[in-house]
Amino acid sequence: MRILVVEDEQLLREQLADKLKSAGYVVDAARDGEEGLYFGQEYEYDAAIVDLGLPKIDGIDLIAQLRGEERRFPVLVLTARSNWQDKVEGLEAGADDYLTKPFQMEELLARLNALMRRAAGYASPVINEGALSVDTAKKEVRVEQSVVELTAYEYKVLEYLMLNPSRVVSKTELTDHLYEQDFDRDSNVIEVFVGRLRKKLDPLNPIRTVRGQGYRFNAEGSA
Amino acid sequence: MKAGIQTRLLITTTLVLGTSLSLAGVVLDRSFQASIVAGAEEQLRLVIYSLMGSVDEYGDEMRFNLDFPEPRLNQPESGLYAVVDSADGDQRWRSPSMITTGVEFPADGVALGAGEFRFESAQQGLVERFFLSYAVIWEDTEEALLTFRVGTDQAPFTSAIQGFRRNLYIGLGAVTALFVLAQYLAVRWGLIPLRTMAGEVREMEEGHREQLSDRYPSELHGLAQNLDRFVAHEQRSRARYRKAMEDLAHSLKTPLAVIRNALGEKAPAEPSLLADQLDRMESSVTYQLSRASATGPVVVGRIVNAATMVERLVRALQTAYSERAIDVVQDIPADLNVRGDERDLMEMLGNLLENAFKYTSSQVRIHGEHEEAVAIIIEDDGPGIEPELREQVLNRGTRADQVQSGQGIGLSVVAELVALYRGRLDIGASAMGGARIRLELPG
Repeated sequence: MRILVVEDEQLLREQLADKLKSAGYVVDAARDGEEGLYFGQEYEYDAAIVDLGLPKIDGIDLIAQLRGEERRFPVLVLTARSNWQDKVEGLEAGADDYLTKPFQMEELLARLNALMRRAAGYASPVINEGALSVDTAKKEVRVEQSVVELTAYEYKVLEYLMLNPSRVVSKTELTDHLYEQDFDRDSNVIEVFVGRLRKKLDPLNPIRTVRGQGYRFNAEGSA
Repeated sequence: MKAGIQTRLLITTTLVLGTSLSLAGVVLDRSFQASIVAGAEEQLRLVIYSLMGSVDEYGDEMRFNLDFPEPRLNQPESGLYAVVDSADGDQRWRSPSMITTGVEFPADGVALGAGEFRFESAQQGLVERFFLSYAVIWEDTEEALLTFRVGTDQAPFTSAIQGFRRNLYIGLGAVTALFVLAQYLAVRWGLIPLRTMAGEVREMEEGHREQLSDRYPSELHGLAQNLDRFVAHEQRSRARYRKAMEDLAHSLKTPLAVIRNALGEKAPAEPSLLADQLDRMESSVTYQLSRASATGPVVVGRIVNAATMVERLVRALQTAYSERAIDVVQDIPADLNVRGDERDLMEMLGNLLENAFKYTSSQVRIHGEHEEAVAIIIEDDGPGIEPELREQVLNRGTRADQVQSGQGIGLSVVAELVALYRGRLDIGASAMGGARIRLELPG
């Protein structure tokens, strides 16, 4: 999952990036509105965290511009100002949730998680598809009620496919969303992860290969 | 309140005009009366002279020429009477007009010397009369002192005076009324710009107008301009102040966020102590800054439509809480307006609605009513608010850092703002099972 962080305060930006990375996300951090807009326009994100008091382009304008350009990833607004005008304007500009500074990192992660789930159309943090059950909060996968041990990358592949249902996801897209930019794109490591994942989820087969295009989450395969 | 300018001017004019015209009336009345009396005396003197000139015979019996020029002396009860007395008091002659009437000439107090006149006025029965006596030394057979006396009824003179007086008073009254009316109209006309200004200032207060119009006469033009400048200045400095507060909030809270995150990672020796102190700082910063950036009821206010604002906030909150699928029932009259600063109202409603969304289990009900004050009631079906916390929030003596975070901080900010607006905040239990908060603001 690739997250865009736009925060002008260097320390906080670094903390956010570290925390998100250690929670398994791929993070791009922008220091001002202009950079944030550039990242938002150039790359595909699964969610963005935008501070409202930004230099160059204000957070509210940034969100409005991204939304104007059909960028639909969920946006979580961070605001130091407790005033409601900003929160309401942020949400009206297209943000999906807000968090007032100072905040707890756990709260931030929970909100972010919920936003991405919501964007994929799941209401609860626990996604049930037939016998397959994925708890996005605990990052736990169960098949027929028993826990399946997955590595962090295996989990990420499964979660990404589940959060993008009924759509073909290319290997490049998976790489973009699961790894930092300098990842070797030619390697077949994704294929290896998918292969291991299929084995661990057996007898379910929720991941279908679309030849020449990529993978697709298949709900029927988990029945 | 002190008497208005119009009343003052009217009272002054009426008093001055009334006094001067009354004085003029009295003077005119007096001099007319005096001239009438002088005229009466002159008339009587003429009668005496013509009587003296028409004596025909003097001796045992006085006789007068019958065709003397005052025919009224021959007519009984004509109102003009005459007698001639000798020095010893004997009546030598009396006019035929005195035959039936009881006219009595006043007795001489002091005997008149020859050539002396005496004019007097006396009440006889119901009739008032003027009398004129004249003593003369009559030389015929022998020298004798004769006193000619003439009297006349005052009635014709009095009625002349009364007629004059009536006309005088009517005239003066009419002049007074006309002047007062003219003055009233002039003052009204003159005060129209002031009235307009008062009206426009009221509109500004109520938020229907942002500045005064520029159609004032030269005397008020400066005042109007200064007022506008003052209002603009006040709004600018309010905006600047709020901006400063926001920047302060930003520059305080971002480091707090950094500290909190660092604390979470490194787990220092005394984590709970630091975390507690951090909590206190956060609460204080949030509470005090919200408090400080509140504008409060302003002289030049705005009308804020509460229905629109609740609508906006609910839409925003439903986006943020879309996962919970909270059922919101809004029943707020479209014309529910609150006088005050938009941000302040948003702060109050935002905090209250956020709490309702945060703590409800499925439903939030918002109800507005407008009686004397504007009231907005927010109810939910969550766990409700502990009586202890209610007290803490509503007791304004409670220090900010003693207020627990969570529901308490938002409510404390609201309570503070409500007090600033001289409104009321009631926290109770809803029939729906959760909290019922009634926010009342002067309309």
